[in-house]
Amino acid sequence: MRETGADKNASESQSDRSRSSESAHALYLVGLVALLAAVSFVSILTGTLGPIGPGEPEKISLGEAIETLIGDGDGTGFAATVIWEIRVPRIVLAGLIGASLACAGTAMQAVFRNPMADPFIIGVSSGAAVGAATAGVIGLTAVVGAFTAPLFAFFSALLTVLVVYQMGTIRGRVYVETLLLSGVAVAAFLGALVSFLIYFAGNDYHELIPWLLGTLSSADWNDAVIISVPILIGVLVIFLYGRDLNALLLGEETAHNLGANPESVKKLMLGVAALMTAGAVAFAGIIGFIGLIVPHMMRLVFGADHRMLIPTSTLFGASFLIGADSLARTVIPGEELPVGIITALCGGPFFLYLLRKSRTGGGPQ
Amino acid sequence: MKLEIKNLSFSFGDARVLNCISLGIEEGEFVGLMGPNGSGKTTLLRCLTRYLPSEARTILVDMKPIHTMSDKEIAKTFAVVPQTSATDFPFTAYDIVMMGRLPHMGSRLAGESKKDEAVVRWAFDRTGCSHLKGRRFSELSGGERQRVIIARALAQQPKVLLLDEPTVYLDISGQFEMMDLIRRLNTEDGLTIVAVLHDINMAARYSDRVVLLNGGRLEAFDHPDEVFTTNTIRAVYGVDVAVRKDPLTHDVFVMPRSPIVLATKRGRRIHVLCGGGSGGPIMRALVDSGHSVSVGVLNVLDSDYESATDLRVPIIAEVPFAQISDDMHAENLRCIDETPIVVVTPFPVGPGNFKNLEAAMYALKAGKRVYILTGSGESSIDFVGGKANAYLCDLADAGAVKIRNLDDMMQLIAHEETANR
Repeated sequence: MRETGADKNASESQSDRSRSSESAHALYLVGLVALLAAVSFVSILTGTLGPIGPGEPEKISLGEAIETLIGDGDGTGFAATVIWEIRVPRIVLAGLIGASLACAGTAMQAVFRNPMADPFIIGVSSGAAVGAATAGVIGLTAVVGAFTAPLFAFFSALLTVLVVYQMGTIRGRVYVETLLLSGVAVAAFLGALVSFLIYFAGNDYHELIPWLLGTLSSADWNDAVIISVPILIGVLVIFLYGRDLNALLLGEETAHNLGANPESVKKLMLGVAALMTAGAVAFAGIIGFIGLIVPHMMRLVFGADHRMLIPTSTLFGASFLIGADSLARTVIPGEELPVGIITALCGGPFFLYLLRKSRTGGGPQ
Repeated sequence: MKLEIKNLSFSFGDARVLNCISLGIEEGEFVGLMGPNGSGKTTLLRCLTRYLPSEARTILVDMKPIHTMSDKEIAKTFAVVPQTSATDFPFTAYDIVMMGRLPHMGSRLAGESKKDEAVVRWAFDRTGCSHLKGRRFSELSGGERQRVIIARALAQQPKVLLLDEPTVYLDISGQFEMMDLIRRLNTEDGLTIVAVLHDINMAARYSDRVVLLNGGRLEAFDHPDEVFTTNTIRAVYGVDVAVRKDPLTHDVFVMPRSPIVLATKRGRRIHVLCGGGSGGPIMRALVDSGHSVSVGVLNVLDSDYESATDLRVPIIAEVPFAQISDDMHAENLRCIDETPIVVVTPFPVGPGNFKNLEAAMYALKAGKRVYILTGSGESSIDFVGGKANAYLCDLADAGAVKIRNLDDMMQLIAHEETANR
């Protein structure tokens, strides 16, 4: 290749540009980590007991709260209990679940090559709902303990995913269009089943409603620790396959021609995403919208490259759910809203705004 | 690099799509892959890239069976340019081309190396689309997209470039630009090219050899002028074509002939006196209306001679560039004896073909109906110092009918027919 002076200049400015875009990317990531920290901090201070919140008079002062956090306190006082045993585990759980839904949603949108896909598209939510409703109706919760409903939800979610996956797989090959339609059909069927169970549950169904709308009200440290394992591993695996997901977005044949193995990538991503979301749903119920709109928002801002999209979606998903849960805890004094209502109420309009704004700039078609 | 295909067969369920294909492609060849729709062209490409599974040891690259190669090795051997590429997701052209480096990237954790960046830059330069780097892929035109996709294929640094009808959605200038680009990659960079092409003339112009598939079988694999014969094309595509040579390049090219229309009952025998390209549309219109037409006297190589050949019109022909001989003139008159109608086109008249005008006078004297088409301007192009125009006036005086345009003449002939009945 003959390189003239002009070529050299052009190539230098090109590599400068890519280097500067790399540092810009790093800066964005640092910014999102900072956002996560800030949201978490504000969220720790937020609650009916204060210092930020609707409760009057505030039972915990700002100074007390900060002292507890920084660690000068003995960790046994009222403020320490509220913050370390109630708020922090709940925030950690919210962050993990927000991260897992957003990350799994990103992977699903790539596997299905469809911006309308979300982590529930292969039947996780409807399967989990049937499991949880069954547990509630037959009253197992009281017999075996607090983990029964999550376990039921988790395994019925995975079972449903397996059924949907089998429907979409013909001779070992995953057909995403069939998979998508099977997911929709199975979800509709199971939705009817859940309604049926609720109808017969009578008064007990009140307990199920918050779970169906998504709630973090039962969060404790146990939940957070248990769920952190599959979620962190899942996020890491999906991140490592960023390049393959990029190739997959161009179609399976193109991905194959570029040396990515689309069949194994699809299967791995479906499996990992199903485990992550089943875990999230088991503990927090069906929190809608995050898995759909967070990947979208990040794509509108950062473009379609998954090596950027996955970390940004994960971080922003965590911040988003922590923020939404803080609102859910405090927006109506003395009452806790299911967080799914907040995510849909905030996320919907914001998403529409971004979508309209990006039309001229050429967002996802 | 040598690509060998040995007894390759492939079936979708019960339907056999490829049947015992065997062929060898040499390094640096430009091979056109041709055949009617459904003949197995795309399937063959997909077997090469292993997107579709083929039997062991049926496809070998440098003696190495492709089923023993890794996915990445395959992607470093073959790069594919599909008919069209689209994505709903907001990738830039740079993102797309960088994806071509995927088979060369080792660790999942590593970023793009300096070499990856250099190769991508080279690929953009080579395809002449460096200015598109920062643009959204979804906003590019069809031709721009196709260039970016070729750049991605180059970024794979493949040994063989496989193209599936790369020009099908491009306009005519885009088609030639694309094919010229591919040929440069072939001649200057030594890339072996296997391209599915629909246009026979394009294939003849650019290919070293042509693979012709028909119903999953290998019909022919040879130089274009051996493959593209009237008989082969009729056998494979079921159309009638005339095969010619491009006067500038001597590449063969084909053009479809009119479907053969047999003389119907309402058709008349009509003899046409023409030359120099003046007779083509008239013969065509007469043949299309079901008349049975003959023509004379024409020099071989005259463009009217070629038109008459294509229309299967019997020709009284003289050797190239020669004066009409007495023999051929006599033949012409014999032909006129058999026809009730004679048409004289506004052909250029010189000393060599003046006898054609005399033949018209002969027809008039024999009581035939003679139409003289005058065209829009002069009645004929006179290269004999006014003698031709004078002769045409004599013809008119002797009863020939002068007509301005073809449609009027066709109507008159039609009218005369009904009057005769």
